[in-house]
Amino acid sequence: MISVRQLRKDFGNRIALAPIDLDVRAGETVALVGPNGAGKSTLLRLLAGIITPSGGTAQIDGRDIVTAGPDARRRLGYLAQRLGVPGSTVLGDLARLVATVRGLHASVAFAALDRAGFGLRLGAPLAELSGGQRQRAMLELAGLGDVGVLLLDEPSISLDADGAEDVRHAIRAARARGAAVLFASHHLHDVALLADRIVLLVEGRRVLEGTIAELAAAAGVAWHPDDTDPPIERIYRILVRRSRNDDKPLRLVRSDAA
Amino acid sequence: MTSGILRFELTTARSGRTVLLFAGGFALASLVVAVVGLSAGGVLAVQGFARTSISLLQLVVWVVPLVALLSGAAAGAECREVEFVFALPVTRTDVLLSRWAAHVVVLGAGLLLGLGGAGIVIGAFAGAADGLRYIALTGISVLLLAASLAIGVMIGILAPTRTRGLALAIGAWFVLGIGLDLLAIAALAILPPGGASWELVALLAVNPVAAARVLGLGLFGADVLAGPTGAALRAVLSGWGAWVLVGTLIVWTALPLLAAARALRKRDL
Repeated sequence: MISVRQLRKDFGNRIALAPIDLDVRAGETVALVGPNGAGKSTLLRLLAGIITPSGGTAQIDGRDIVTAGPDARRRLGYLAQRLGVPGSTVLGDLARLVATVRGLHASVAFAALDRAGFGLRLGAPLAELSGGQRQRAMLELAGLGDVGVLLLDEPSISLDADGAEDVRHAIRAARARGAAVLFASHHLHDVALLADRIVLLVEGRRVLEGTIAELAAAAGVAWHPDDTDPPIERIYRILVRRSRNDDKPLRLVRSDAA
Repeated sequence: MTSGILRFELTTARSGRTVLLFAGGFALASLVVAVVGLSAGGVLAVQGFARTSISLLQLVVWVVPLVALLSGAAAGAECREVEFVFALPVTRTDVLLSRWAAHVVVLGAGLLLGLGGAGIVIGAFAGAADGLRYIALTGISVLLLAASLAIGVMIGILAPTRTRGLALAIGAWFVLGIGLDLLAIAALAILPPGGASWELVALLAVNPVAAARVLGLGLFGADVLAGPTGAALRAVLSGWGAWVLVGTLIVWTALPLLAAARALRKRDL
């Protein structure tokens, strides 16, 4: 569903994302983790068509994101880290737009928002909702209809415990109906719970990719998949520190396995 | 342009306070100009549409470009904030054109409300003579609105920030409203007598505000008030001058929109 080959992005002389290959299959959830400035949002924004690649190719549903334009985004849902629309935008108006461009009746979008608890807020500008409410409403709209690829940039940010659980539920539901989900998060607990694979990015480079068990092994942390609560914070810190240490370069576990 | 995005932009533009303020303010100002114009004339039946229209035209050529340039610049700059919309299966050009069209419709409604209200007052007190020319004046005002909005949208998209976009819009308003007229006066002083006609007509062609002003004055046979450019237009182009000016306003709508669409397509948000 998502196929990325040597995709890269430069902003002037700064490399925001070094050439990267990545595949996310239907029904698979992949998490992007890494420190601030690692290139996670850049990769998601490239795939969503918000910024243009400096090189390489990417396909969504078999359609090139540059040459196919809107066709590549026909089954794409994208949740931006920022709100992504002016705060004065009325929730119901935005819902009607999303429904219309995805070939749905507006009532489908209104019903989805109603189920998410926004039935009485359809006439409200987004600025009048709390940060968490906005995030949940936008997530609902991003996943509306026959979305085959879901790109989520920090979906749990500014959410309370219930909101974060709603996000996890939405991601699981998308995966269950066969969507490819690629999300960036600093909430490593969510990553451990949701991701089939994890891609670690540091300073614009992909330094490691694998399951949590493979990452644990690469970090030298003893953990077995049967154990609950993987020590993902510890694994993450070790891997990021080592990725910045030229003396002990990390090995790409998946490449080694292949 | 898809109907879904146009409808979305229409509802968004309609809910903006600036637009509502313009509609109400312009309607009120037009009515004041109409009533004052009629009162000052003394003989209401003779003054009619012609006299008041020339006063209203001044209101149009000063207020409409300012509001449209600022609204357009704000709308263009806001294109940087619609990441969510651009990730939907729509083209950026669709969003841009819908946004411009929505503002034309909503601001145009305010304009029609203002000029229409004034027209009703004039018609009721002074009779319907020249009424068709008044309707043509309304059409010119809408053309000027469309061109100014297009220029504003282009400025908003090309400017690096919203604040700079708004500042540039005010600068553009000054240049179009006054700066190019000053240039025309300077040209008259420099060029040999009788040799300046084409150059002055060219100045009209690069200035949608002057084009609308000369067109409006020409409607009521008041070309003399249009200054050196109006006189030059009549001398050089005779009866075709009006169509050249209408064409100018259309080109001033199309070219900025094309430039804005091109810039937006290539821009990283």
